[in-house]
Amino acid sequence: MTRKTKGAEYYWNPIVETLPMEKMRQLQLNKFKKIVQWAYDRSKFHRKLYQEAGLEPGDIKTYEDVSKVPKVEKAMMRDIQRKDPFPYGDALCVPLEEVTEFRQTSGTTGTPVYQPDTWQDWEWWAECWAYLLYAQGYRNTDRVFLPFGYNIFVAFWAGHYAAEKIGCEVVPGGVLDTEARILKIQELKATAMMATPTYVLGMADTAKKKLGIDPAKDLTVRKITCAGEPGASIPSTKQRMEEAWNAKVYDHVGATEIGAWGFECTAQPGGLHVNEALFLTQLEDIETGEIIEEPERRGKIVITALDRIAQPCIRFDSKDVAEWSKDPCPCGRTFRIIKGGVVGRADDITKIKGVLIAPSAIEEVVRSIKGLSNEFEIVVTKKGDLDDISLKIELLPEAEGNREAILNQLKDQLRLKTNLGYNIEVHPYNSLPRYEVKAKRFKDLRKHG
Amino acid sequence: MSPAKLRKMEVRIKKIKKAAEELKELSGGIQAVDRNASRILASVKMLEINISDILDIS
Repeated sequence: MTRKTKGAEYYWNPIVETLPMEKMRQLQLNKFKKIVQWAYDRSKFHRKLYQEAGLEPGDIKTYEDVSKVPKVEKAMMRDIQRKDPFPYGDALCVPLEEVTEFRQTSGTTGTPVYQPDTWQDWEWWAECWAYLLYAQGYRNTDRVFLPFGYNIFVAFWAGHYAAEKIGCEVVPGGVLDTEARILKIQELKATAMMATPTYVLGMADTAKKKLGIDPAKDLTVRKITCAGEPGASIPSTKQRMEEAWNAKVYDHVGATEIGAWGFECTAQPGGLHVNEALFLTQLEDIETGEIIEEPERRGKIVITALDRIAQPCIRFDSKDVAEWSKDPCPCGRTFRIIKGGVVGRADDITKIKGVLIAPSAIEEVVRSIKGLSNEFEIVVTKKGDLDDISLKIELLPEAEGNREAILNQLKDQLRLKTNLGYNIEVHPYNSLPRYEVKAKRFKDLRKHG
Repeated sequence: MSPAKLRKMEVRIKKIKKAAEELKELSGGIQAVDRNASRILASVKMLEINISDILDIS
């Protein structure tokens, strides 16, 4: 692949999106120094953290010095919160009167973390999303439908404001149920949509089965932005969504505490660009903590939001596992690419029967097999000293006649792609749990005895 | 984009910022002025992120 810069109108900000790497590093270092100083001056939490590490903000002189700054983990944020200044605790860097937004993490990995933002931070959130939506082809000619429950989770809130910023017409599909949302999309001829992969597939299912509407033919949504789950970067899941909607499906990655830090562009290079203008992203070896610069070696993402001020996110240990791509993107952006998106969570990547595996690898296989429904569940248990892995699946009603062939194909592909044998449990169609937001399809019961 | 054009933009960003700050000083506490000027300043920050910060490395 070659990189060739496109015209200015192709990018949200052609200056930073095509900045040569050495300039980008300089920009990031300048901003990193500022945000560390900001936090050190205003937050007891950060000051104590840095002082205990023997670090003063002035010690950061080179890009390599960034790694000297201690990391922050989600558990540390949980410990300091629900105290004064209530409820955020002493990582807050602005007076409470300047906080205009409250959101919290989903709590899928424990007690939710609260996230305060000033209005400037909220503008920044929308700016992060403007970079990604513009890169995915959103323009002021789009009518964008948001089928999500506008609530305390950040989810697609910033996508809403970013789409407005770009000039799109935004339709908030908040409290409507799935059927009403589909009918509204049809009525308004919406051209774009944002949702989790689980919900994108679920909506298509509901449209066909309950309303007799085929999204690929009867609706006009031609681009979909996904978040919340890795599905849009898993080729077989992406393909299912694209076929169901006759739309381009783009992935993005972000987190409440961090911001929207990575996105797929219209060139779909097989990975996500890291927004290096707004985030300083490092990849660390999971075992040794060594910084990984070379491509195709997995590590976990440690990330800094360079301009977020109320509760700064500095060297946050995201636990997201990724690897750098060796190929530049034909879109011309110099923002680096994480190959295949976030491939898993450091917490979820686990050894089963001695084999290191990410649940996304199993999803890739299940979703690649025609005749299986979109739903599945992985359950790992211990039988004596041995690991036992069950995979619950559903056959589509129309595939019952090919049951044996489909199951053989599934077993072969799982063995080939994951080096593991599974107890395959076929459940009646529509009996496995359906999710609207973040699905919980991986259950490791070994950890709970 | 030429550095000269970037610098011209930065001058205007600074002017907007100064004008919004002056509005807040002049408002005598009128919330309708203060709060809207604060929102302008938040947008100005996005202009700084997109333009002015780049000049620091040029």
